[in-house]
Amino acid sequence: MTGAVSCLAGFADIGVVIHGSSGCYFYPASLLPNAVYGTHLLENDIIFGSEERLREVLEEVRTRYRVIAVVTTCVPSIVGEDLLAIRKNSADIIVEAPGFLGDFETGYQTALKALCPVVDPVREGINIDGLNPIDPYYLGNLRETERLLSLCGLFPATKFSADTYESVFHAAPYTLTTNPDLRSDIGNSLGSLLGLEGTKAGFVALSHHYPQVDINPVIEEINHAEERITLVCDKFLLRNDPPSVLIFSGAPYALFAARLLDRYLDADIIAIGSRTSSPSTPYPLSRMVTFEEIKECIQREQPDLVLGSSYEQSVCEDSAFVSFSFPMRGKILLRTRTIAGPEGTLSLLEEVLNSCMDRKKKVTQLGT
Amino acid sequence: MEGCTILGALSVTTGVKDALSIVHGPNGCAHHNFSLLHATLATDTDSRFPHIVSTHLSEDDIIFGGEEALERAIREGLERDVGGIFILNTCIVDTIGDDTAAVCRKSWRVPVIYLPTAGFLGGGFSRGMLNALQTLAIHAKPREKVPRAVSLIGEKNLEYEVEENYTEISRLLESLGLHVYLRFVRDITIADLTEISRSGLNILREPELMPLGDLLRQRYGTPFVDRFPRGFIGTLTFLQDVARTLGIPCEDAVAYEMEHQTRVLAKFQDLEGIAVHLGRDTSNSFLREMVDLLGMFERNDGIHLPIPIPEPVGTGGVERLFHHWRRTICASL
Repeated sequence: MTGAVSCLAGFADIGVVIHGSSGCYFYPASLLPNAVYGTHLLENDIIFGSEERLREVLEEVRTRYRVIAVVTTCVPSIVGEDLLAIRKNSADIIVEAPGFLGDFETGYQTALKALCPVVDPVREGINIDGLNPIDPYYLGNLRETERLLSLCGLFPATKFSADTYESVFHAAPYTLTTNPDLRSDIGNSLGSLLGLEGTKAGFVALSHHYPQVDINPVIEEINHAEERITLVCDKFLLRNDPPSVLIFSGAPYALFAARLLDRYLDADIIAIGSRTSSPSTPYPLSRMVTFEEIKECIQREQPDLVLGSSYEQSVCEDSAFVSFSFPMRGKILLRTRTIAGPEGTLSLLEEVLNSCMDRKKKVTQLGT
Repeated sequence: MEGCTILGALSVTTGVKDALSIVHGPNGCAHHNFSLLHATLATDTDSRFPHIVSTHLSEDDIIFGGEEALERAIREGLERDVGGIFILNTCIVDTIGDDTAAVCRKSWRVPVIYLPTAGFLGGGFSRGMLNALQTLAIHAKPREKVPRAVSLIGEKNLEYEVEENYTEISRLLESLGLHVYLRFVRDITIADLTEISRSGLNILREPELMPLGDLLRQRYGTPFVDRFPRGFIGTLTFLQDVARTLGIPCEDAVAYEMEHQTRVLAKFQDLEGIAVHLGRDTSNSFLREMVDLLGMFERNDGIHLPIPIPEPVGTGGVERLFHHWRRTICASL
């Protein structure tokens, strides 16, 4: 449900109504930067039917948005209400997304499909997908991708999901992704913008389809970033052993981080606890979705460095830690963060190196 | 608008350090609440995490019943070092009619306690919290009272200032020669739950918990004060109420607190004479007292002051509110 709501809420002119209890509403509402609405069902609504309550909310919200999307939660889904009848002739979108049907990514993809996106062969620009409003990298990834496109004289077409409803029906033929877990499969994929190699490959693929586009500014920036990274990592390795690392996040972000740390710091990637499934990889990746598994893994491995969310942070006492994945609780987040593009790579490595050096200083101070 | 009973109940059960809370429902329900509680704990000085697991109900469990999934989750929970297990139903589980109470009644190694929740079908957040507190309150036996011991009842564990409020109440009680014996329920163990009968006085977080105050008085003979103190006058009254209930003197404590309040007010003399606007809440006696104390006055075009929700506790809470108001006023001038 939260995945579906997050996807839909990224479209500014879609009013999102969560058809369920206030408890179901509160969590996504607390995470999303923009407003969503709820029917806040009570016991009587289930006994006597919640259609009237839903109608009331739809009428209240309808005038503020181009279209309304109703996302159903567990109980309304199984009591068998005829939501299509409520919809009647309106263009309202119904998304069945009870929690028991799957995870966040399932809900996100279900909602995206419900929007029925269309590729417009004459639409100019490049689509950006994988944008998820509750991802801490949401705005940063969008801005970084727009910046890279503008360096080549290009601009974004449809942004999934950070756009308007109308734009969904005029997607451009090609798409760059910022998070493959949330790929839209709309238009031809040019690849992801995670990592320097990934970004370079994406823009090279783009140039094959648009030979007139000059991608050199992006390639030069990537090469320059790589030089800087190599320099600081070599310097770091003069005084430090490569860190042993545990990484916790969705598979694409985690694999990007693993490749980065392996390549430039010769890091020992002890394990990747992935929240999502992944194709085969040379790294020891396994699906870890319960807190107990994660806690046990960290306590068993005692790594030098942990990349993860505030969940992992709460149980990694002696390791260096980098806030890498959602959620990032217990800290103030004001600036935009990117993980995509060269800026994303530089940001992550900067945080990793500083965190490792801070830990070393702390250990040294404790020793004296 | 309130959250569902699950979160209200979990805000209590996760305050028991050695207990595991099992949310009987789909992953999402446990995840939502884990995340919200984790968010609150992550802003505290330590980095605790809530002990919550899910029964991971799938679509098949919804169709064929989830009692096996619950038993499996309890067995897995017992493999951990837990002093007890709390079971909380989600709305979907109550809809499909799982007999959770029957599963809890089976013979388990540690207490497995069923709490009436049922998501939104069981009421709202406050109902879940009160139900959980009442369920946990009946596991003690009447015992000898500990001298000068006071228990805090129903602290709101999701309240941002919960620790600051505790510090303030502790300070006020110490000025009367009393101490906090038990925080019911925050940062305690399963065994501590039985200590609830031993305090000489209970202080409720808010009057809405009076059914629980009455229950504890009837079962264990413990009188109660029905709320944490609000405002300067309310703080002095609180000291008097506590002292009167326990039959102890309070003159020195009240005199000291009045001096302390005078010192606090002196720090905010620069706010005197400023026109402020309290929005629609002008009948709020607490806000009116605060504005009067600072020598400010109300005017429709005055600086709009933020209204604290919930109201600050004790003199310390009021001092933090005054800082907040001064920042707002300075930004508006």
